[in-house]
Amino acid sequence: MSTYGVNSVGRRVVHDPAFRELLRADPEAALDELELTDEERAALMAGDVTTLYRLGAHEYLLVSIALHGALGLDPKLFSERIRAAGPRRARPA
Amino acid sequence: MSDRARVVGGVLVPHTPYFTVKLAAEPESADARCFAAVRGQLEELRPDVIVAFDCDHLNTFFLDNLPTFAVAAVNRFGGPNDHSPGLERRVVPSHRGLGEAIHERGVDAGFDLALVQSLEVDHSIMVPLHFLTPDHEVPLVPVFVNGLVPPLPTAGRAHALGRAVGQIVRAYPEDLRVAVMATGSINLEVGGPRVSEGELWGAPDPAWMDHVVERLRAGEVTRLVEEATAEKLASVGNVAGELLCLLAMLGAIGDARPDFLEPQPYFGHAYGTWLLGEGG
Repeated sequence: MSTYGVNSVGRRVVHDPAFRELLRADPEAALDELELTDEERAALMAGDVTTLYRLGAHEYLLVSIALHGALGLDPKLFSERIRAAGPRRARPA
Repeated sequence: MSDRARVVGGVLVPHTPYFTVKLAAEPESADARCFAAVRGQLEELRPDVIVAFDCDHLNTFFLDNLPTFAVAAVNRFGGPNDHSPGLERRVVPSHRGLGEAIHERGVDAGFDLALVQSLEVDHSIMVPLHFLTPDHEVPLVPVFVNGLVPPLPTAGRAHALGRAVGQIVRAYPEDLRVAVMATGSINLEVGGPRVSEGELWGAPDPAWMDHVVERLRAGEVTRLVEEATAEKLASVGNVAGELLCLLAMLGAIGDARPDFLEPQPYFGHAYGTWLLGEGG
């Protein structure tokens, strides 16, 4: 699985309280700490989990972002957007 | 007295995080009743140790270092380390000697288990313990199986790992009654495209759940192992790989038929007990 930077957002929002607060208050600054492609960064800033999922991010980590109310996501919006993604191959590149 | 440990039975329960709050408010619900039934039967087994096959949810481990199989050899561990409503952090005793034996003898037997000597666990262990051993007095040895991040180990490999763990337990030179726990769902998607409308989860393939229950009731574990291919599990839901923990548990207890098995199709999970008496 690639997209380590995106996945680490979902990891740190659960396990790193300082990062979680920064991600809520100043997402651009929080994301500056991570190695991200321009496409990943833009999708994160937009809360575009449809694209993040298609890029190979692990959905279990993405959902943590919504559960913590970061990047403009809440559970209802997350549900709507991830349903639009459609199934991915069993083994993302 | 026995000079060897014995496997006295197995249990299957889910670990739905919000059940800690939900079932407290709904003590008459089917899930509350099932947890109570499993708890009662587990207590009758009088386990000295529980060996738990568990799929960590990227909380104990992460993508910087992700084992396919791992075992904890520790005196104690803490948890939950993730967001688990209604749960305070607790310390759970473990059995370091048995964990070490599973590591050493497991690797000898060809199962390359990662060794864990310090850990915090997530809701996938702490929710079951909340319902089954709320005083956290029974030592628990976690054996981790990657059921969430493809590629998963094959069903045959997980089942064989369980069988090896069962043999290691039975050869362990201490008079211990060991119960084996599997925790997880059978038909479940969390946070992926197959969630139900407006929800963060869904149960996409009820027919698979029915099929698994039928195989379990018939004791047809070998056929279930053959059917649970990577493609099949991926098609059922992104958490359907937790079936691997159940298959490992069945391997450890010798593929017995369940004494109690109650699916909850709405949630995509099931509760079960396998009681082996004194001679497992």
